Amino acid sequence: MADKPTFREEIAGLLHASMGNPLDMCMQCGTCSATCPVASGGFMDNSPRRIIAMINAGLKERVLKSNTYWYCASCYHCTVRCPRGIDIAELMYGLKRYTVWHAKTQEDLIGPVFSETFVKMIVRTGRSFEPVLATSYLFTLGLPEMIQEAQTATTLMLKGRLPLLPARIKRLDNFKRVLKRIIPLGDPDA
Amino acid sequence: MKKYAYFPGCSLEKMARSYHDSAIETLRRLDVELEELEDWNCCGATAYFHVDELLAYTLCARNLAQAEKQHLDVVAPCSGCYKNMFSTRAHLQHEPDLADHINYALEADNLKFTGTSAVRHLIEVFVQDIGMDAVKAKVTHPLRGLRVAPYYGCQILRPRKDQEDVEQAHFFEDLIAAIGATPVEYELKLRCCGGALIITNRKAALSLVRNLLQSAAAAKADVIATACPLCQVNLECYQKLVNQEFGTSFNMPVLYFTQLVGLAFGLPPKKLGIGTELVSAEPVICHARSKPS
Amino acid sequence: MSKRIGVYVCHCGTNIASTVDVKAVAEYAATLPGVVLARDYKYMCSDPGQALIQQDIKEHKLDRVIVAACSPLLHEHTFRNATKQGGINEFFFQMVNIREHDAWVHTDRAKATEKAKDLIRAAVYRVPYHKPLEKKSVSIKPDVLVVGGGIAGIHAALTLANAGKKVYLVEREPTIGGHMAKFDKTFPTLDCAACILTPKMTTVKTHPNITLWTYTDVVKVDGFVGNYKVTVRRNPRYVIEDLCVGCSECVAACVFKEPKFPDKFNLGLGKRKPIYLPFPQATPLVAVIDPETCIQLKTGKCKKTCVEACGDRQAIDFTQKPEIKEIEVGTIILATGFKIFDAKRIPYYGYGAYDGVYTALEIERLVNASGPTGGELVLRNGQKPRSVAIIHCVGSRDENTNKYCSRVCCMYSLKLAHLIKERTGAEVYNFYIDMRTPGKGFEEFYSKVSGEGVNMIRGKVADVFLENPTDKNGRLIVQAEDTLLNIIRKVPVDMVVLAVGLEAHADANEVRRLFNISCSTEGWFLERHPKLAPVNTFTDGIFLAGCCQGPKDIPDTVAQAGAAAAEALALIDNGSVELEPNTAFVVEEECSGCKTCIPMCPYNAISRNEEKKVAVINEALCKGCGTCVAACPSGAIKQNLFEDDEIFEEINGVLAHV
Repeated sequence: MADKPTFREEIAGLLHASMGNPLDMCMQCGTCSATCPVASGGFMDNSPRRIIAMINAGLKERVLKSNTYWYCASCYHCTVRCPRGIDIAELMYGLKRYTVWHAKTQEDLIGPVFSETFVKMIVRTGRSFEPVLATSYLFTLGLPEMIQEAQTATTLMLKGRLPLLPARIKRLDNFKRVLKRIIPLGDPDA
Repeated sequence: MKKYAYFPGCSLEKMARSYHDSAIETLRRLDVELEELEDWNCCGATAYFHVDELLAYTLCARNLAQAEKQHLDVVAPCSGCYKNMFSTRAHLQHEPDLADHINYALEADNLKFTGTSAVRHLIEVFVQDIGMDAVKAKVTHPLRGLRVAPYYGCQILRPRKDQEDVEQAHFFEDLIAAIGATPVEYELKLRCCGGALIITNRKAALSLVRNLLQSAAAAKADVIATACPLCQVNLECYQKLVNQEFGTSFNMPVLYFTQLVGLAFGLPPKKLGIGTELVSAEPVICHARSKPS
Repeated sequence: MSKRIGVYVCHCGTNIASTVDVKAVAEYAATLPGVVLARDYKYMCSDPGQALIQQDIKEHKLDRVIVAACSPLLHEHTFRNATKQGGINEFFFQMVNIREHDAWVHTDRAKATEKAKDLIRAAVYRVPYHKPLEKKSVSIKPDVLVVGGGIAGIHAALTLANAGKKVYLVEREPTIGGHMAKFDKTFPTLDCAACILTPKMTTVKTHPNITLWTYTDVVKVDGFVGNYKVTVRRNPRYVIEDLCVGCSECVAACVFKEPKFPDKFNLGLGKRKPIYLPFPQATPLVAVIDPETCIQLKTGKCKKTCVEACGDRQAIDFTQKPEIKEIEVGTIILATGFKIFDAKRIPYYGYGAYDGVYTALEIERLVNASGPTGGELVLRNGQKPRSVAIIHCVGSRDENTNKYCSRVCCMYSLKLAHLIKERTGAEVYNFYIDMRTPGKGFEEFYSKVSGEGVNMIRGKVADVFLENPTDKNGRLIVQAEDTLLNIIRKVPVDMVVLAVGLEAHADANEVRRLFNISCSTEGWFLERHPKLAPVNTFTDGIFLAGCCQGPKDIPDTVAQAGAAAAEALALIDNGSVELEPNTAFVVEEECSGCKTCIPMCPYNAISRNEEKKVAVINEALCKGCGTCVAACPSGAIKQNLFEDDEIFEEINGVLAHV
């Protein structure tokens, strides 16, 4: 009977395509966290270093409850500075995917909904269209923020910078067939 | 001159139209031929890789395979598009099994990825392929006295592509100097603007934007030059919000490097999309107008 | 040719016997052509095992011996010796490895046993073709060359000189002392570096057995163990060493009223004139003139006030030329030391950009009484720092710069923390990843310094920012994650000290080529074995001492220097060294003189005899790698113990069942 992979092993598996060194090599120096513009600004509940320590210690629930990876700005500064050669930014992507696929994303985060909306839109048309994305976060904002956002959007529209009509790729049918061969997405129009 | 498959990316249609216009105009002046990548699809920004890796690679690979069909290297003006496509190509070359799997899917659109088309960033093309001398040769209105803060942002340099030194880049400064302007040293030129977070963590993003604007302003920059539409939108379109949030009074124009190059080439500002900014670029244009060579 | 072969199959306890059926193998061996006796035995390498071989040779008149056991690296010489003791030539012995090559790498008993049989059969076919070889010996010249005049070179030279040997100590800088002369105090005792070093330097200068040549480079090294011919170039100081007394009147009199040029000894923090003495305790205490900055040497038009000041001694000589000298030595000790990591490679620490950022070595000069500030630890604006951050691991333990740990930085960082606090009363912060304090008295030193109130923050510094972006001279903010407190620290300080790591010299690769040794991947000179032979190299007669072999502190350096001296003394006292005969040789009649082999030899052992127009192989340099043997288009080069008939028979033996 095969053993179920530990959380640590699962996460290591997520990084198979990354060319960085294994998470086990982390020496907990804290370079990543102090370099990270978001962590060092105090916007993450756990620093990237702490997340790695928690993964290595198998503290799955605490990792899943953390907002760290959804607040990663994908700037890759941690990755280029890590003295042990670990690709931390890729780890953050991996953790996001893990929570999305296990449907364990936290309710109060905008990131998961935003990303899913984005992908659904691409799958449907092949191109992005900002106004659709707005629906994924607009209603999480308070009233003053919503008004501000509307103002910014209006100004941009008046300057001709806001797309009013969604774009589509031409070979959309082929495109959808390509996607079906990769991943069973169900009916994207459902 | 070399010909490239041009990958505008979703934002250059409308949001960053001025980047597109100024890129086309300046490259035309420099005799570089562009052929738009046929029927390109969205590169995925950061979102694809948040949801599924295989899907993300496939969507990028479709663009790369299309470029191969056109027998051209891809040039992307947006750092996000550039990074996604560059990484996809590198990964698929590194993992032939993954490439096979994706090629099976791409068959449905009569495409195949083998990795023969390289991926370049627009600024790379200016700086390496075209070269400073060629750029200098076309400058008719050197932007003398204009203090420009070159904003590299994140994804042009990072992650490392090939052992290069990512902390000591100076090609952007060289380009600014080539068009006669004065490149300005400021501490945060390589740091993140929070572009990916403007929706998902607005507080963090605004804080990062504020820090950047402050750094450029402290160095007495007249304008920030960017090479990525997300950076430009973040730094420019949300300045008002930053001022509201932090009680600051920034009024820093943020232009694309191609717009500055275009001004130095004597091209009319309207053709370069100048006038569509939320923070007026008038002070910058005055500089260009008042000093013909 | 009928031979009488004895085959011994060793159990090696259960190492071999548990996987290979040694009895069956011995029984099989007995059936092979030429084998007159085959035994299996528990431990062949034991005394009785060796005695058995000797006995059997005599009783059964064996003329060839085969032992199937472990790797030849371990016991080939043991059994060759036993063979010799038995009364026949020791090279009539062949070893078969059925342990590392068979029992230890296979699990299938039947197949492993068959393989053992195949391997032994190969040896049985081969060994009749072995020739009786004799070991040659070369004599060892008694003089020694020590390259590098830091503490390692100094200690090695003194040890050898005190043992009565003549030593040439060659140093490329104008003075000996190396890095240690730059330190203020040494850890963990806080001994003054100069106080413990300068007496040794003086002894070197005055020792009758030491010839000290400073400002000298090694240019060429020819020869082999015991017989090295070394060419050195003594560079011109434009001052006659024997006449100069080091009074420095010339320096005071120089037409440059104020020192103007960066002072190398003080790492550019101080200035010197074109004529200078490197530091007050320089040895030899002789002035040097820098041809790049001296007006007389550059233009020929100077008042030459220095000459005037020198007066009757007439020690200054602008016509001095480089002097080539050739020496003959038997052994060489390399003690060329290290260089520090270039902190400019980490731009986000601000070195070279912000005034308040220094390297640890620069701080050593600042706190030193003979340094550019007379021992006052002050910033560039002359003020004492009120807070200082010391950043550990700069250029060490980092995939992006150097992967290795530089071993001394934690200790010297604690030392500097102590000195800085003592001199200035500043608040000191040490930012570290791990605190590495393993040596004698080191942990106690760490406790002591912690007890003095130095702040230890466990977190590698990510950035050093300016507090005020427009003020490059102003305060700095050091940003790190305090991994123990789990918070991001942004500590404002006046001064940042970078604990830079150690690296091999930039020209280490060129230097190693001169001496025909190797470098490791990190650039350090390569030792023969990291555990058991740290001072030997793969080139006989050349030894390593000190940091040129890898980062280490002064106690370990001195120990290694003593070890290298002992190795050299062992060779010299023995008077001669035996060479392994498995060398290649040229059959002159078959050599066409095509010169293909000469550049191929990794040990530079092949040269050309111009008279006969043939290649000649130096047996002492040849290591028996076989490259030339394979390369020779005429097949004129053969190798002892690996001649064609021996090899082909071995192959036949292995494949016989196929």
